[in-house]
This record gives sequence, C-alpha cells and structure tokens, in this order.
Amino acid sequence: MKLTKKLCGLFTVGALVLGLGACGGDASGGGKDISVVNSDVSGKVVIYTSMYEDIIENMEKQLEKAFPNVDVEFFQGGSGTIQSKIAAEMDAGKLGCDILMVAEPSYSLELKEAGILHKYDFSDKSKLVFDYDPEGYWYPVRVCNMVLAYNPDKYDKSEVPQSMKAFAEDRTMKGKLSMSNPLTSGTAYSSVVGLLDKYGEDYIKALGEQEVAIESGSVALTKLETGECSEIMVLEESVLKKREEENSTLEVIYPEDGSIPVPSPIMIVDDEYSANANIEAAEAVEEYFLSKEGQKMIVDGWMYAVRTDVEEKPYDGIALTELLKNTIPVDWEKCYRQREEIRTMFEEYVTVQ
Amino acid sequence: MSTIRIEHITKKFGDNVIIRDFCAEFEDGKFITFLGASGCGKTTMLRMLAGFEKPDSGEIHIGDRLVSGEGVFVPPEKRGIGMVFQSYAVWPHLNVFDNVAYPLKLMKIPNDEIRKRVMETLDIVHIAEYAKRMPSELSGGQQQRVALGRALAAEPNLLLLDEPLSNLDAKLREEMRYEIKEIHKRLKITVVYVTHDQSEAMTMSDVIYVINEGAIEQAGSPVEIYGNPKQGFVSEFLGRINLLSGEACDGKLKLCDTESSMECDARFSGKTMVAIRPDDIYAISEDGRFVQICSK
Amino acid sequence: MLTKQKSEKFTPDVKWLFILGIVAFLLVFQVFPLLYLVFRAFFGEGHFSFDSFKRIYSYPLNWQCLKNTLITSTFTMIFGVCIAIPLAWLVGRTNLHGRRFFRTIFVTTYMVPPYVGAMAWLRLLNPTVGTLNVFLKNLLGLKSMPFNIYSVGGLIWVLTTFYYPYAFITISRAMENMDPSLEESSRISGASPLKTLFNVTLKLMLPSIVAAALLVFVAAASCYGIPSIIGAPGKIYTVTTRIVDYVYVGSKEGLSDATSLAVFLMALAFLILYISEFAVGKRDYITVSGKSVRPATVDLGKWRIPLTILVSIFAFIIVGLPFATVFATSFTVNMGKSIFAKGNFTLKYWGIITSRRTIIKSSLNSVAAAALAATFGIIVCIIMAYLLKRTRARGRQIPDFLITVGSGTPSVVIALALIMTMSGRFGISIYNTMAIMIIAYMIKYMLMGMRTVVSGLSQLSLDLEEAAQICGAGWLRRLKDVLLPLVLPSVVAGWFLIFMPCFYELTMSNLLYSDKTKTLGVELYLYQTYHSQQTAAALAGGILIVVTILNLALYKLTKGKFSI
Repeated sequence: MKLTKKLCGLFTVGALVLGLGACGGDASGGGKDISVVNSDVSGKVVIYTSMYEDIIENMEKQLEKAFPNVDVEFFQGGSGTIQSKIAAEMDAGKLGCDILMVAEPSYSLELKEAGILHKYDFSDKSKLVFDYDPEGYWYPVRVCNMVLAYNPDKYDKSEVPQSMKAFAEDRTMKGKLSMSNPLTSGTAYSSVVGLLDKYGEDYIKALGEQEVAIESGSVALTKLETGECSEIMVLEESVLKKREEENSTLEVIYPEDGSIPVPSPIMIVDDEYSANANIEAAEAVEEYFLSKEGQKMIVDGWMYAVRTDVEEKPYDGIALTELLKNTIPVDWEKCYRQREEIRTMFEEYVTVQ
Repeated sequence: MSTIRIEHITKKFGDNVIIRDFCAEFEDGKFITFLGASGCGKTTMLRMLAGFEKPDSGEIHIGDRLVSGEGVFVPPEKRGIGMVFQSYAVWPHLNVFDNVAYPLKLMKIPNDEIRKRVMETLDIVHIAEYAKRMPSELSGGQQQRVALGRALAAEPNLLLLDEPLSNLDAKLREEMRYEIKEIHKRLKITVVYVTHDQSEAMTMSDVIYVINEGAIEQAGSPVEIYGNPKQGFVSEFLGRINLLSGEACDGKLKLCDTESSMECDARFSGKTMVAIRPDDIYAISEDGRFVQICSK
Repeated sequence: MLTKQKSEKFTPDVKWLFILGIVAFLLVFQVFPLLYLVFRAFFGEGHFSFDSFKRIYSYPLNWQCLKNTLITSTFTMIFGVCIAIPLAWLVGRTNLHGRRFFRTIFVTTYMVPPYVGAMAWLRLLNPTVGTLNVFLKNLLGLKSMPFNIYSVGGLIWVLTTFYYPYAFITISRAMENMDPSLEESSRISGASPLKTLFNVTLKLMLPSIVAAALLVFVAAASCYGIPSIIGAPGKIYTVTTRIVDYVYVGSKEGLSDATSLAVFLMALAFLILYISEFAVGKRDYITVSGKSVRPATVDLGKWRIPLTILVSIFAFIIVGLPFATVFATSFTVNMGKSIFAKGNFTLKYWGIITSRRTIIKSSLNSVAAAALAATFGIIVCIIMAYLLKRTRARGRQIPDFLITVGSGTPSVVIALALIMTMSGRFGISIYNTMAIMIIAYMIKYMLMGMRTVVSGLSQLSLDLEEAAQICGAGWLRRLKDVLLPLVLPSVVAGWFLIFMPCFYELTMSNLLYSDKTKTLGVELYLYQTYHSQQTAAALAGGILIVVTILNLALYKLTKGKFSI
C-alpha cells in the first residue's frame, strides 16, 4: 500500500512536469522574409528526405511562404528506410513521392538508370560547386560532411587520432571507436568508398582490426558523451546541432587527410511514377531548394551549401571554401557499380568477428 | 406433448461405433433412465437427444417434430429442452437469479414476469434465499439446484439429466434424488436421466434402458429389470437382488409378509418395492460382530 | 411443420459466416502479401530459381547470424520461463507482501519500447564506463569491469529482461485461474506443498508454460531493436539485423535476399509452434469448470519475509535500475556528467515532448492505430481461438499457424510486403492510410492475443457453453453471454498485449507512415536516431507513466478483475 502511494506521488510529479512543459510552449518562429513567392504553382508535392525532423519543421514554414498554394509534405526517414520503401513502391509500380532528397549520388545513378527520374534544367548550374548530372536528372542540394569527433571533457585533443588514417591505424584507440554502418547508411558507404580509393583495401582491414563498433550516429554520439568511445567517425551536422541546441562540448576534428563531403542529391520523380504527377510544382520546389534562399535553410540545418555564392556557414562550422581545400574525393560511378563487392568486403573485414 | 421417438440411431466416432441401431419410444411424462457402465454410449445418446451430437443415421422425433434425420438437424438451442450437466455448468460470472433467469431472458419475456417465474423455480429447487449469491459462494448441492432450476425455468416438456448427482456426497445425493423425483411428479414432464448408479435408476425411473456397447440390452420398469434381468450382461451388471414388497408409513417401512420394519424417510408413504442386495445382508455372530453373508 | 423444417435446414450458420470472414481477412491481408514476397524471392528473374536462397545460405556470416539467433532466443526462452514461473506463482498464489504492486512492476518492461531499455542497459553495463560496472568494480575492488554487455550473454540478458513479461503474463493468468481443489487433493493425499507444486500445479500449467515459452522465443528471435543496439557493437549479428542490412540496400536483390533470410524465421516460428503443440498434445486441462470454487492462497509461513526481500531485489535489478536510468537520462543535459552535476539537470526534454505539436498529434495517432489494431486483432483471436478449440473443422489449426508465422516474420519484411501488395496493384489500395499500419500491427502482434485467448478458452469447460445452447441461445448469444464474460480477463489482457507493442511500434510505422499517420514510434525513432537520446528517454518515460496510470485505473475500475 505504501508503495502504491509512492507511485501516486511519482505520477503527481510527472503530471506537474507535463504541465510545466506545456506552459513552456513553442517559442520558435520563422521571421525571415522570403522574397521569392511562387503563387502560380499549386497542388501537392510529397518529398522523401533523410534530413532531420527539426530542420524540416523550419523548412515547412518557409516553404509555406514561398509556395502559398502548394501543399508540401515530408516523409522523413533514414536513407535505408527510404531506399527500401522506394524499392517496394517501385515493385508496386508507383512511388509515394514527387521529390527525393536522399543519400548520395550513386543512388541517383541507380534511379536514373531505372528510368524513374524527371529531367530538369536548373537555371543556375554554374554556381554549383559539386558534381551534378549533366543531363539534369539530379543536383546536389546539401552537403553532409563526414568528419571525426571527440569529447574534450574526457580526452585531450592530442590523445585522439587527427586523421582518417590514424583513426584506423592508431592501436591505442582499439575498441574505443565507432562509426555508422555503411550497409545501411548512404553517407557512411560513400565515405568508405572514398577511403578505399585513397588508402586501398588495407584501410578497411585496419578498421576491422581496430574493432570499430558499427552503430547509428546517435548511439555513437551518446557513447562519445559518456566516454565509452574516445573518437567517432560521424557527420559533422550531428555534432554542430548538438553544440548549438544542447550547448554540447563535443568537438569536430577536420581530419588532416581530408574530410569527406557527401553532396546529397535532389531529384524529381517522373510523371509516370510520381505520387501527384505535379511536375510543375516539383520543378519550382527544386529550383527553390537550389536557390540562394533555399540553401540558407540548409546551412541553418548545420549542413553545408552547394553554391559558391552562399556566404553563411553552419553554426560552429567552417566556410565552404575552407572545407573544400582538404577533402577525400569519392568516385560515385564506382560507388554504384561496385556496391555489392565493397559491401561484402567491408562485412568480411569489419563486421564479422 | 413430448413423446420421444428414436428410430435406428447410429453414431460413430471415427471407426468407433458408439451407438448402434438404437430404437426407443418414450411416453409423455415418463421418467426414463439410461443405465449402463461408463463408456457404454448412454451419454452420447443423451447428447444426441439434446442436439450436441449429430447422429450418423436414424431419426429423432420430439413430440411431432423431427429434430434429427436425413437432411434435417435442429440445433440444441432450437429444441426447447432443459438439461442438467454432470459438472453442473453453472455460470460462475452470473448470480443464482441470473443463471436461472437466462433461458427466460432469451425468450424475451418481460422483466417482472421473469422475476416471478425465476422465484417460483427457485422455490421449487429450494434455493430462493440464495438468489443473489454467486455460484462460488454455494456448496456443490446448492450449485446443482441452480443447474436444475435453470433447466426447469423455461418449463420445457423434456428434461435431460446427465449423471447430475455423481459429484455429490452420499447424503446429498439421496436428498436430490428425492427432489428430482418430486419435481418430475409435480411438473409432469418427460425426463431422460443418465446414470451408472443402479439404486438411482431403481428408485427414480418409470422405465429403465440398460445400455451396453451402444445398444439396448433390456428395457422395462425397475421391477421388471431387477426382478427378471435378462441373462448375460444385464444380470451380471445388476448383480443379484432380492425384491420384497413393502409399505411405508410414518417413517417406518414395513416389509410385507414379515413383522420386521425399518426406519425410512418420513416423506415416503404407501406401497413400494424394497430391493435388498445380498452383500448388504449381515448376520450377527456370537461375539456380536457383523458378518457379511455374501460378498460381491 | 414440414416447411419449417426445411427452413431450419437451410439457415446459414452465423458461426461459419464469421469464421470464414476472418479466415478470408487473414488470407487477403497476411498470407497473400507474405506469399507474394516469398514467391518473388524464388521467381526474382521471371523464372523459378534457388539462386537467392543459395547465395544467402551459403554465406558464412549468415550462418553465424542464424546460430546467434537460435542461441540467444533459446536461452532467452529458458531464462524467461524460469524467471516467470516462480514469480507468477509467488505473485498469483501466495501471500507474498505487496503482490499487487509486484504484479504491476513485473510487466513494466512490456510497456516500454525495447530499444529504449537497451540504451539504458548499454549505459549501465558497457565495458568502458558502464555505471553499474564502475560501481561494482569499485565496490568489489576488481581489476577489470565485471560485465560486458556487448556479448552473447549481454544480449541474452537484455532480451530476457524485456521478454520474460510475455511468459509472466501468460503463466500468472493460468495460475490464478486454476481450480485449487486439484492441488488440495494432492495435499490431502500426503504430498508436501513443494511436491504439489511440481507434481500437480506445474503439470497442470504445462500448456500455458509451453505457450509462454513459444511467445518468448518468437518475440526474441524476431526482435530487431535490442540486437541492433546491444549486438552490433560486439559484432554479434542476428537474423533480424542481417535482414535489415539487406533490406536497407534498397535494391530488388536486397529485398529478395532479405526475404530468403526471413523465411528462416518464419519456418522457425512454425517449427516451434509445431513442437509445442506436440509437447502439449491433447493435454488441455480444463481448470475452469461449471463447478465454482474460491481461489486459494498458499501461506508462505516463515519464508514470507525472505521471499519478499528476494523478489524486491530482483524487481530492483530488472526493472528499477534500467528505468531509473531512462528517467535520469531524460533529465540530463550532458550525459558525460552526473545528473547531479551543476547545471546538468533539465526539464526541457519533458517540455519538448509535451509541447511539440507533432508529438501530441503522433501520440493520438498511435493511440488510435494501436487501439484499433488491438480491437480488431482480439476479435480475430477470439473467433480463431473458438475455431481451434471448439470446432472439429478440418484445418482448424491453420489460422493459429498463420498468426504465429506472422509474428515470427521480421517487422521490416511485413511492412515491405504490404507496400508491394496493398498499394493498388492488386486491387487493394490502402497505402499511406492508417489501415495499412493497423494491418501490419495485427500481423505482427496478434500472436500475444491469440495465445492468451486460446489458453483462456482451453481452460473453460465446454459444458458452460452447451448449457447456454440448451437454454436456447444461438451462437452469437452464447459468445456474448457466456464465452466472452468468462474469457474476458484473458481477452482484456490479450487486448493490452496487442495494444502495447503497437503503441510504440517503430520499424513498420517508419516505413508505412504518411504525413497524416505519423505515430509515436516514428517520433521515438527520430529522436533516438537524430541525437536526442534524452528526448527519446523522456518520451519513453511519458509512455510508461501514461500506460501505468491506465493500467492502475483499469484495475481500480474493475475492482482488480482486469489489468495486465
């Protein structure tokens, strides 16, 4: 009986907390002026994306202003989720979206070959600093930058590896490292291909010997915070977001041998396969995302822009020009053509005990 | 009108013949007993009367109505009969009143009418004071009365009883036996009673059907069956028995042709048959011990 | 008279209409999608081929995964049942102190998403800085950390703590329903209480114990959240994590490969069901008969206090520690520091979960989807349990088998099969509606309800129903007046058992949700994946609080009759 009372007490506290929280309210708000207003397009556009939910929330508000007559809907999921969803939808003959903003260019190559993309001639191609499809099937829209991160509360910067090479080869770090799963994450897969090109198969082998834990970015970040991991290979945006939103002290290390920027593409689905067959609106939305205005939303979302003329940089990040000085390039064609072999190789060196 | 005609009923479970070519006709208002060892098919026959089992062949008529036969099968809920189960089958989630009222509710009788009739029925089975109790608060005997009340509430023309007393202790059993008989007399309904207990069959029945391996061995009144068992199974199953005529009066049972009498239930009176089993006859030896004269 | 007989002959039986309706539902919404997927795995290139199977089953890593799944699920089943039996007995049949309280506590882990719990155990027992590990190391003066969660043992431990409630709920229900006279007669024949427990109680409970073991095994084998969080860092992969690896490739081959591997889990579920049916055989003991009895309580005597203490310690370890960790996480700013460090305590995550519009909307969606799935699911279970236990129809075991196989199928496979078949190509278009989620939930989680209702029904004597039938009640009436009220505790428990996992379901919701049908599981996944363990913890904590209150309210309202 006593315990029951205690439980009741706990609930009262819980209820109070709920009450307080409710009073806190939602204080965020758009506030930016959108100059471009495309009131001539209308209808519905569904976008599949792997961007963060909070970034999307912010984008939704801005898109509402930019496209007062278009109902833009997002489906958010990891790239694995979205890719498998699309595979199943393709089997059924129709996709559930009009625009895709997902993963890395090699996936675009695959979709282009499958013939489900719509060709669009972006008006300002000269401003793009990353590869795009010359025929106009896909354009980079945001840069997810693969870097290293550590926790200065637990380790001194000098103690942890400063390069991608050392990440795999510094044996003092054995068992204290973590990275995302290239089998399920597009950006992790691209990074592995980049590193494979730069350092050869031995690099992957070394990762295996290093006993790197393969897990999702959020779990890795938590482990970095608790000190369970000394260093992780992670997308820069996730660290920057934590720094801005939670005053986290976790720090990014831009590897001496280069970070791996992955330009995530934006693609329009062909009329025949798209959910709403609203090409006109889809084109306008894509144009907007690639515009200076649209790219600012990307930077607000802790990612890097794809245009040379966007001066803003992500919170606590570096300038795009700075970033581009030291990168590890990725061969997208290879990413696409040799996917099976590379995955299997990674599995055999790193995943298997 | 509940004359029951059973014509050439056969029932198999797989390759096992449970009932073979069973034919019988029960007169309206009689107390019929199926007597037999366990596994002889008597319960299956009863369940076919109720409609829980479907005969493989043959016909069953209840009154004028063909309830089971070629291409015809009336499910139990449409046969309008009452039944008491060996395990009582009193619903544990309903109180005594609601248990007994259930068949009346199904008949969509107005509530005050239900009330009246349930209380009458509870009176008949002597549990009126327990109307609001839950079955788990009742003794086994009381629960059996609830089951009986429920079977009687809708005033069926045919009441089926499947070894209703086998779960009760000896004293209760005797009491209930008497009461079931009384109810039969009072309501004048046809009763089909299944038992393996000869004394139950003996004391209650108008007609006994001795059943063995799915077939009728012998049918007749208790006196006929006990006094003149057919050779073979029946005589073996029943054992030897001494039938004497007697007369009950004021709690005394006097055996005719003798001067001796014994105590009996004061509720009984009038001429009767007294059955005495040989193994129930004791002699007193010189040192005052009881000695059984015949063993089984 | 004659015409009346004719009409009686031709009346369609309502019972069979219902049964056929539900069987048709299962065929269309479960069998067809899954068969389609399996069919595709064989006919991937337009002609029949075993290639995909050969490729999958000749790969050594996959064999390692199969082995890991078998080992972890088997041990989880054994430990889960071994924990559940004594707990169910102590809580259900003895005069242990605080029985009611413990009953609630021991089902708590059923009410939170396993992946949230896995994160808590990871924080407690990781080999580098695990809180509990560090504490024990200092306490006992050890040189190294006593536990490593990233091991097969660790995986089994976490799986056990999350899946023993399946066994506990099933077994304690049966314990409480048992006719005590069966035990009493053993005591009277001179058997000691302990001997009675082993010779009578446990033997009578065998069908329920086997059903419980089946549930635990299937749940553990088809679980993805725990092995992905606990197993992966220790390089312990299971069939489910492997399937997700294949699926997330996002190609047709990936899907075929995943299906080929999923067939193993389906076959395993079927095999386990078959073995359990075989083990129990015809031994369905009827423990609720038309003879009403009062439930009896065993007096623990001098063992009452020590056992209460033991049970408390156990509750603290298995429930208290991880849940305290979840709650602590939800109040911590920087998880690298103690929650009591200056400025490290915050209510903001609770603020987030209670103020964000999307979270509130998603919660409502989840309640609706889970409630509908549980309601339809339990109706299917009742009718199919009736078909199984109360009719002699040929093939009556098939729906039970289908429901079991559905549960054994990994969530991701179910979701993809539904997308492929339910988006209009075959005449049914429910993609992007709540209906497709409800159907996915039903396929995955009906087993819990089915087992509960089946064991409730098989403990119910047939006489009770026949008595109503002879009183003139038709099938629907009997179901409503006799069967349902008597199995109602099982039905309510079954409803909750379906409701809970649907309420926070993640994998399938993640693939099937659309703008208007976002659920709590999707939110939880987003927070868990995108850097806010704390928000996820707060959300899980919130779910736990709401569900516990609901459970308590239900208990109070029904005066202790219902609750899980």
